[in-house]
Amino acid sequence: MPPIDLPQGTLDLLILKALSLQPMHGWAISERLHQVSRTTLQVPQGSLYPALHRLERRGLIKAEWGASDNNRKAKYYELTRAGRKQLAAETDAWEQLTTAVALVLDQA
Amino acid sequence: MRQALNDLRYRLRALFRRDAMDHELEAELQFHLDKEADKHVRAGLSPDEARRRARASFGAREGVKDDTRDVRGLVALETLVQDVRYAARGLTARPVFTAGIVLTLGLGLGANAAMFGIVDRLLFRTPDDLRDPSTLHRVYTSFLADGEKRIDRNLAFPVYLDFARASRSIEAFSAFQTLQTAVGDGAETEQMRVTVASANYFPLFNARPIHGRFFNASDDSLPVGSPVVVLGYGFWRARYGGDPGVLGKTLRVGQSVRTIIGVAPEGFVGLNDQGVPAAWIPITSYAHERRGTAYPANYGWSWLELVARRRPGVSVATAEADLTLAFHESWRREAVSQPGIGTPDSARAAVTLGPLQFNRGPQAGQDAQVARWILGVSLIVLLIACANVANLLLSRAVSRQREIAVRLALGVSRARLIRQLLTESFILAVAGGVTGLAFANWGSAALRSFYFTAEESVAVASDVRTLLFAGVATIVVALLTGLVPALQAGRGDLARALKVGSREGTYRRGRARVVLLVFQATLSVVLLVGAGLFVRSLRNVQGFRLGYDADRIVFAGANLRGTRLNPGDLNALNERMARAAREIPGVTHVSLAESVPFYSNESRGLWVPGVDSIRRRGRFVLQAGGPDYFATLGTRILRGRAFDESDRAGSPRVVVVSDGMARALWENADPIGKCIRISADTAPCTTVIGVAEEVRLRTLTDAREYTYYLPATQYGSPVSPQLFVRIQGEAADFVDPIRRRLQREMPGSAFAAAMPLDRLIDPARRSWKFGATMFVAFGGLALVLAAIGLYSLIAYDVAQRTQELGVRLALGASMGDVVKLVMSSGVRLVVVGLVLGGGLALWGSRWMESMMFQQSPRDPVVFGIVTLVLLAVALLASFGPALRAARVDPNTALRSD
Repeated sequence: MPPIDLPQGTLDLLILKALSLQPMHGWAISERLHQVSRTTLQVPQGSLYPALHRLERRGLIKAEWGASDNNRKAKYYELTRAGRKQLAAETDAWEQLTTAVALVLDQA
Repeated sequence: MRQALNDLRYRLRALFRRDAMDHELEAELQFHLDKEADKHVRAGLSPDEARRRARASFGAREGVKDDTRDVRGLVALETLVQDVRYAARGLTARPVFTAGIVLTLGLGLGANAAMFGIVDRLLFRTPDDLRDPSTLHRVYTSFLADGEKRIDRNLAFPVYLDFARASRSIEAFSAFQTLQTAVGDGAETEQMRVTVASANYFPLFNARPIHGRFFNASDDSLPVGSPVVVLGYGFWRARYGGDPGVLGKTLRVGQSVRTIIGVAPEGFVGLNDQGVPAAWIPITSYAHERRGTAYPANYGWSWLELVARRRPGVSVATAEADLTLAFHESWRREAVSQPGIGTPDSARAAVTLGPLQFNRGPQAGQDAQVARWILGVSLIVLLIACANVANLLLSRAVSRQREIAVRLALGVSRARLIRQLLTESFILAVAGGVTGLAFANWGSAALRSFYFTAEESVAVASDVRTLLFAGVATIVVALLTGLVPALQAGRGDLARALKVGSREGTYRRGRARVVLLVFQATLSVVLLVGAGLFVRSLRNVQGFRLGYDADRIVFAGANLRGTRLNPGDLNALNERMARAAREIPGVTHVSLAESVPFYSNESRGLWVPGVDSIRRRGRFVLQAGGPDYFATLGTRILRGRAFDESDRAGSPRVVVVSDGMARALWENADPIGKCIRISADTAPCTTVIGVAEEVRLRTLTDAREYTYYLPATQYGSPVSPQLFVRIQGEAADFVDPIRRRLQREMPGSAFAAAMPLDRLIDPARRSWKFGATMFVAFGGLALVLAAIGLYSLIAYDVAQRTQELGVRLALGASMGDVVKLVMSSGVRLVVVGLVLGGGLALWGSRWMESMMFQQSPRDPVVFGIVTLVLLAVALLASFGPALRAARVDPNTALRSD
């Protein structure tokens, strides 16, 4: 199966989900999305950063500089409380949407 | 709420810690790339290959940065600052290029700002302090007279009363007239502008007197009114030093002594086209002083202008219909005493409500028309300037192709690039606008003196409307000059541009640049043709034989200010004045005169045996002069003789007629000895003794205007106390000596005034002088701009074609061949412009016709000269680059890239 492009707006949801486990830096998020989706999702690595900064501006995640594995400084992102609420809401919405779409597809 | 706060915090940080944030972002992205590369290295790739892969999967790094910055929300401001910095750096790096553009735009914008100020004044602006100008109108009447439609804005006092009484749709009428009259007493007496106004004139404005009060209805009451005066601010400062104690003092205005009751605020002009008056006086008091108690019924004295304020909700058409009815009623009332005027229906009497601005109304002068043309011309100059600048920017954009391609490849979006180039042209336009305002401020003083008096001239830089206009013009200029190059840069094949840069193997000239150049040449041709036509018109005007030597004559007169002299005393005064003037050294001849060119004309009814309907044959001006009249004026006698000392009061009545008059009345028959009856068909014959050359007394253009001359001794009543004084030397030098000498002869409060006769005629010549000056200035400017444009285009071409030309030379082309090749390409463009511009000028010539003076707007000489000038300029502009092209060394040219 060839990799598919992300539908508009879903990247934010995926980032929030990835960060719900633990704080991560940008590259780790990109790696995680890649692995967890079993390489089906094609996320251009560059497009991650505008999305991260947008989420930060909206106060859904916050960023902090910390030391990475080999002691280099990296920018770690973590969910805020608002971010958690947003993740829950968006996950619900997403599930409703996919169920509905699946229903339509089955019935038709 | 919390989200909004967070947003604000982020944005503030982004704004004030921009560099730090950029740094962080850079580090963040670098960290990502390193991690990705590490991953590939661990998988066994070489470090170089790993880094390449990491970059590939990351995408364009600059693009990511831009996008991330966009997210910060300050992007508009931030990129603007960045673009401005970038553009400023680029522009200061090439000072000559930049200065050239700013200067070009400055000239174009400056010319427009200056002209706009004038046209705005003449056509659009109403006085600042006018209340609700949209409901105010100037009142014009129209009617048939001798089968021709006449439009008149001067109405008699009873007509004003009739209108005010009869019309329902008008809230109020205000009547006014501005006159030149004597103000002051004794040595302080001066001829000044005074506005005679009805009491409801002041309430048209929001203005309040700074001292005292304006006059009111009880001051302006029928029939005598009160002898009061309101002073103009400027006059009050100049004459009374701004003393608030002037209230209650007296001032002689015209014939009567008046009490000062108020001072108008600074800048208060009223509805004047001719500048700020020295004072305002009530209509009734002035009319009574001039014509006695009979004036409220005197329909023959038409001297007032009227403005009307419509009632709310009444349309212009309704108000006009209503006023026309009122006019008919008034006409019938007038017909009771003047049955000769016919019925209002047969005369098609009607009222028109025109714009407040006189120059937009049905009687607009040629000045306003010329000013409108010049504004059009200055817009064309601006277009040419824009074309020039666009061309320069284009050539720069082409030579920056590689730079632009590199930036595109680095991920800068095309939109951003276009924005950047537009920023550059905005900076240039704004700099040009500021320069232009400086030019306009400095140059328009001269311009405005053509049209306005000193106290009216407002500096360009402090006039809000002009500034607004300049601002809009600047934005338009920025878009015009920036768009073409910006779009050109945003287009195009990236890979090819990167490979070859601006040094392509084959030579290709940008089509946009060629179009711009032809456009410039075309417009230049049009302007130069206009300039040529106006210059020839002006030369015709100046060389035009008026029928007298205006430059050699001083006009002097006595203002009696109501001193009543019996005929004997008046004749004696005339005699004393003439003798006194003759005593002044340098004066050669002196003559009395009843009519004065372009100032006042006398006329009488004429009856000629065997000739019907004389009034239809032209307008006949009566002149009465002393025995030296023709020698004084320099008017030539073509046949017969002039009158002289022998033509006395009791001797046979004689008359000299003008050449045109002789032909209008008797066609080819010999006029000498013919009989003319003057004033009444029962009057005794006056015999024609001579024919004089035609003279121009009222207009420069009306050929159906004739003059006949009577000896002053046979005029019937004393001639007005006015003299023509012929002098040797400069007329201006004699004005003061003559005035001072004549003042000694003045009785009572009368005073003497003098001026060169030319001063009276200048206003009639003014529009051509102005037109010629401005067309030549702007045409010349256009030509210079077009020449610069052509030069830069060809020079650029030559630089682009160096290789090709080198090949040609190497293959044996002579230097002459190369020069010819380069020059012909430039001249070809200009020839296209000549054809297009010539066609355009021919097509537009019918609108020029009315502004020419004895000049065809399709004059082949003008078109020929313009063609030659433009070709010469084309050759000159392309010769330099062509020579450089011919000197190309084939070796270096071929090796260079």
